[in-house]
Amino acid sequence: MNMETDILIIGGGVTGTGIARDLTLRGFNVILVEKKDLNAGASGGNHGLLHSGARYIHSDPEAAKECQQEQKILKKLAGHCIEETGGLFVAVKGDELNYIQDFPMLCEKSGIEAKAVDPGKALEMEPALSKDIIAAYQVNDASINPFKLSIENMNSAIASGSSCLMHTKIENFKIENKKIIYAVARDETGGKTIKIRAKAYINASGAWAKKVAAMAGITVNMVFSMGSLLVTDKRVTRRVINRLRVPADGDILVPGGVVSILGTTSIRIKEPDRAYPSVDEVDRIIEQGEQMIPALKESRYIRAYSGVRPLVSMGGDGDDRDVSRGFTLLDHEKEGVKNFITITGGKLSTYRLMAEKTSDIACRKLGIRKKCITAITPLPSTIDGEWSEPAVFSEKSNDLETLQDSYLCECEMVPEKAVHRVIDAIKNSGGCPGLESIALRTRIGKGTCQGTYCSSRVISYLCSRDDYRTDNTLKDLKRFLNERWKGEHSLLWDQTLVHSSLKEMIHCGLFCLETEGESY
Amino acid sequence: MIQKQKISCNVMIIGAGFAGMTACARASELGLKTVIAGNSSQFYFTSGLFDLLGVYPPAEGNVLKTPEEGYVILKKELPDHPYSKTGLKQVQNSFEFITRFLKSAGLEYRSSSSGNISVLTGAGTFKPSFLVPETIKKCQMINQGRKLLIIDFKGLNGFSAKQVAAGLKKKYAAPHTLSIKLSTQKDVRAPVHLASMFENSDFPEQIARKISSSGFKADILGMPAVCGINRSLDVLRKLEKKTNLEIFEIPMMPPSIPGLRLKNAFEKQLSKINRVWFLNQAKIESPVMNENKFILNAVNQNMVTRIEADCVILASGRFQSKGLFAHRKKIFEPLFNLPVYQPEHRNLWHHRNFFEKKGHMINSAGIETDNLFRPVDSYGSVIHKNLYAAGAILAHNDWTRLKSGSGVSVVSACTAVNDFYNRHKPNSGSSSE
Repeated sequence: MNMETDILIIGGGVTGTGIARDLTLRGFNVILVEKKDLNAGASGGNHGLLHSGARYIHSDPEAAKECQQEQKILKKLAGHCIEETGGLFVAVKGDELNYIQDFPMLCEKSGIEAKAVDPGKALEMEPALSKDIIAAYQVNDASINPFKLSIENMNSAIASGSSCLMHTKIENFKIENKKIIYAVARDETGGKTIKIRAKAYINASGAWAKKVAAMAGITVNMVFSMGSLLVTDKRVTRRVINRLRVPADGDILVPGGVVSILGTTSIRIKEPDRAYPSVDEVDRIIEQGEQMIPALKESRYIRAYSGVRPLVSMGGDGDDRDVSRGFTLLDHEKEGVKNFITITGGKLSTYRLMAEKTSDIACRKLGIRKKCITAITPLPSTIDGEWSEPAVFSEKSNDLETLQDSYLCECEMVPEKAVHRVIDAIKNSGGCPGLESIALRTRIGKGTCQGTYCSSRVISYLCSRDDYRTDNTLKDLKRFLNERWKGEHSLLWDQTLVHSSLKEMIHCGLFCLETEGESY
Repeated sequence: MIQKQKISCNVMIIGAGFAGMTACARASELGLKTVIAGNSSQFYFTSGLFDLLGVYPPAEGNVLKTPEEGYVILKKELPDHPYSKTGLKQVQNSFEFITRFLKSAGLEYRSSSSGNISVLTGAGTFKPSFLVPETIKKCQMINQGRKLLIIDFKGLNGFSAKQVAAGLKKKYAAPHTLSIKLSTQKDVRAPVHLASMFENSDFPEQIARKISSSGFKADILGMPAVCGINRSLDVLRKLEKKTNLEIFEIPMMPPSIPGLRLKNAFEKQLSKINRVWFLNQAKIESPVMNENKFILNAVNQNMVTRIEADCVILASGRFQSKGLFAHRKKIFEPLFNLPVYQPEHRNLWHHRNFFEKKGHMINSAGIETDNLFRPVDSYGSVIHKNLYAAGAILAHNDWTRLKSGSGVSVVSACTAVNDFYNRHKPNSGSSSE
């Protein structure tokens, strides 16, 4: 199969989808290819924190400033993806006093408003905080839903004629006369090969940028820093809580709808694939987190996950947190490939700016002068984007109730009709309806039963439809359960262990899935 | 107002799951005065199939045609497994006892002369089981060249005939499928509701008409396990007669109707025996062990029962039923604080692959016992001569991988009761050894 477009974007994270929207709004036609599904990399493996920038004032004042400016823009234009929680930086007994003292001054330098809060007042604002707080500052952190953000960016691009191909992996580039002539991609579900011809090619594949660039004969030196996060079963605080100290492990707690997310860590890894938190990492995060918020010691954690920070190496071997979190934008013209750009690194909070700068270069390459309008154009809210949000979801299911619908997920109240609509949305945006793609776009598998029941129910529902290949049933179910498991196995004690025992009882004890086919 | 009562008994059973109920059935048959406390609603989570040994060695995923062929190796490799303490014959005897007991309550189970039975499940997979409800038995006819029809019910979540057919297709000819739309306004999403509808006199006929009018030519029919609750076999026979088909049920995920039938059968039969007190939903608190007596309090909503017992059988299950409790760093037995055999660190509890064939090490954690199922301390000495552990709480027993849960429960329960009985025949006039 052959396809043609103005610009081919490789990578379906926030950067790639942000670029897709930016360029589409400038009047270009783009195709975005993603080897897995939306936000499969670091875009889906982070805190969902829209930084005030205060975390970076010490290590990277420039990045701090960018965060502060960008978050103001996003709050105005993409408000439906954001909850304006506000944030606190708190220090506990034993934290370094110099850092605390310099904090307000450094914030000011980066244009961040930090208001001193009396520790007693901070406890009133957030009763879950430790009684051992010695200093607190209020900043304008917020929480952002990265899935919704990517879905909405992509939908906005699709609405203006661009397209995306999920589960499509770039295999090589055909290069002639210092230009990429076309890219060869493989459809990972059907195995078909697709030739995509474009005028410019943007490598926005995050931690995989090195691999993609190598296909065009270009070396990008990268290091991979894995960060792990834990999801609590309940929301612990109203605001984002940061530890007022030099950034370290387990020092940020971000509310995300009805849960809270505690993280992170920073561990150098060799390859970006298959990153999952270990038992030791989980214990370390909790032990650090409980110093700020004692309740985290006994909290119930429903999921753990890791993201890989793609950092372009500057040499040296200090803490990976010292490597700039600022982004890296590489025009490969000087290395001999005229129409190829790599964008990697950076932060969720500054994705829009990264997309703007990248798109600027792409425009230049095409010889067309068009201005970026994403800093002034609101991001539309579409119905497909709504499904990933827990609170909105229950409101939505209320009006779906009139359809006498039944729930496929009882923990998170996902009605059959919603799954039906999500399947339509997946098909419309070039995706492949299956348990994993549905779960990515809904609350399926995210509730307390850990996907034990809803996985089977969604599979049965899919089987009853005519657009699902039932040959894949067990493979789909096993892969989904195993993917969830990777995020659970380090957290299995107390109640979560009870639920995982039930899961094993049903899927192994009764259904004997472990004796069927390959293991994943 | 909290009421208080006192009971003195020979056997106190903690846990009303399969092991506890079996122990109770056995003890009452032997004429022992018995108290059982626990939550029988755990039965909703059991498949209702009685497994003996379905897979061995698990690392090879070797599905066994007969339990015997696996047992030969198990006995060598796992000397601490409950079966290695009793032998296979003892398991079969215990199954025979429990089959008789359930039959008297109107629930029929069948085994096969050729060993394990391959039971078709709602996931479209086959599970090796040993003793199955009469209503499921005919799944054995699948491989005999007969034409098969699988049905499901619109609105009954988690069971799709097409899904089952997709699984079957790998081994046998693709069966026909039919999705039945019920005209009733009643909610059929919950299997229990649908199962109770099958007990209405005209309902099976209604279903039979829908099947016949579909026009499929079939010899046997598979349906989700919702064919009635207390008269399941009668209902099934009726449906067979009206459709002129051989019918079998297909177990699906919980809430399990075959599990509910078991619960009802046990409760019905045990309630007839006045030597038995069933303290449903009661929680046991502050047990005291004396040399010859156990004193425990069973607490439920508004009643505290003080129980004096000669013997205790701990059949409180694993994590789900709170027989074991896992803290972030350690696994406990919360009631008697018995030593729990367990992997050293949480790192070792679970494998990173959920479907790891060898199984997760945490599933071998539990209570270690002597050959009579009396818990032992770290030196291997019996903790109390009349304290027993039975069922899933036992160590070295990964029943989800070995498909051996029911077998371990019955054999440990019966062995424990028999041993106590043999040493303390009630009318022998002595309560000591």
